Amino acid sequence: MPIRLLVLIPVAAAISLALSAAVDAVALPLFLDTTGTILATALGGPVVGIATGVVTSAVNSLRNPTFWPFVTVQIIVALYAWIAARAGLFRSFKTAVPAGFGLGVIAALTSTPISYLVFGCTTTGGIALTTALGKALGLPPLGACFFGSFVADFGDKAVTFALVTSVLHGLPRRTAARFPWALRAIGAA
Amino acid sequence: MTQLHPFTLLAIAGALPALAWILPSPAGGLSTAAVALGLAIAARSFRTAVFTAAPFWLFLLLLHDVPTTIAIGLRLTTMVASFVWVVAALPAPRLVEAMVAAGWSASVAYVFAATLSAAPVLRARARRIADAQRCRGLSPRGGLAQRLRALRALALPLILSALHEVDERALALETRRLVPGARRTPLSPPSDPPGQRIARWGLVAACAAALAWRLK
Repeated sequence: MPIRLLVLIPVAAAISLALSAAVDAVALPLFLDTTGTILATALGGPVVGIATGVVTSAVNSLRNPTFWPFVTVQIIVALYAWIAARAGLFRSFKTAVPAGFGLGVIAALTSTPISYLVFGCTTTGGIALTTALGKALGLPPLGACFFGSFVADFGDKAVTFALVTSVLHGLPRRTAARFPWALRAIGAA
Repeated sequence: MTQLHPFTLLAIAGALPALAWILPSPAGGLSTAAVALGLAIAARSFRTAVFTAAPFWLFLLLLHDVPTTIAIGLRLTTMVASFVWVVAALPAPRLVEAMVAAGWSASVAYVFAATLSAAPVLRARARRIADAQRCRGLSPRGGLAQRLRALRALALPLILSALHEVDERALALETRRLVPGARRTPLSPPSDPPGQRIARWGLVAACAAALAWRLK
């Protein structure tokens, strides 16, 4: 792995961890904890993205241990982002936002069994409350848990994809060209 | 306890939640939670463990009946207390030294250590950017569209500035010959006596035996 891509891993992981400060400032119900994983994949490919996801989960777990069981979700996010980058889906918001919604569904499907089996659907306060709402609407326990995860992930991943698209287009071409996947991800190569 | 080898600390922190999930509830969860909370008390992190675990009990009671709440709650308490304890008992630089001494690639140790050091720096920068944007008239309140625009104005400078540092960091690493696959000699490797190595394998064997017993 080239040294630039090795350096990208901790930088991208730190971006995921630091974005919580920006989210707090605007008081939006978002996590953005996969931003670094998606960005690293779009810039450096799947290996860099998966490594970023694993490191993000590991370091986040030191702060809050509930993150570690969801490392599988980070890996799936990296693989999905790689497919999106290969298809050039980061070329505009018109393609990136629907791709983000798709990832939201996949992330919810992946995180539901973990949330249900490990945490009893109590991963965060928001997910617990939406799961309770799902139960009140008559959904079965697993269905209510999926409802909770879906509400949390659907918008979050669309915003994350849109944000990564903004970053990729905001990078100077010369900088972007130093990363193997950046230009292809925005449909410029 | 803090003098134990980092891998031994991690093995204990990993084995306790594993046993909490494998052993029958509530006795299994109760005993592992008691051990984990005892360790947290010893590391003076009991309060953090309790405050982190408490919301789960509340939400579990909201969603489940009492026996399920107790079963899952004890497992989660074990997991939370174990992690909180290991974070308090194991300084990250010591773990990195142990990884390098164990023959892990210096790149792996770098990635872990660099993330730990970069995260607070970027968090502080994010707060500075938020202050600067507010000075320029950015309002983080209002409707959804306005908040999303504000988020973009906060996140974009943060991410772009971090990406611009990649080249500088890469150059610094290249000049220090920290290329992928390189091995380093640790300055002060933690001692790893044979007894601790046996104890670690013993914990793995205990988890495997408990799993085999439960699956029987």
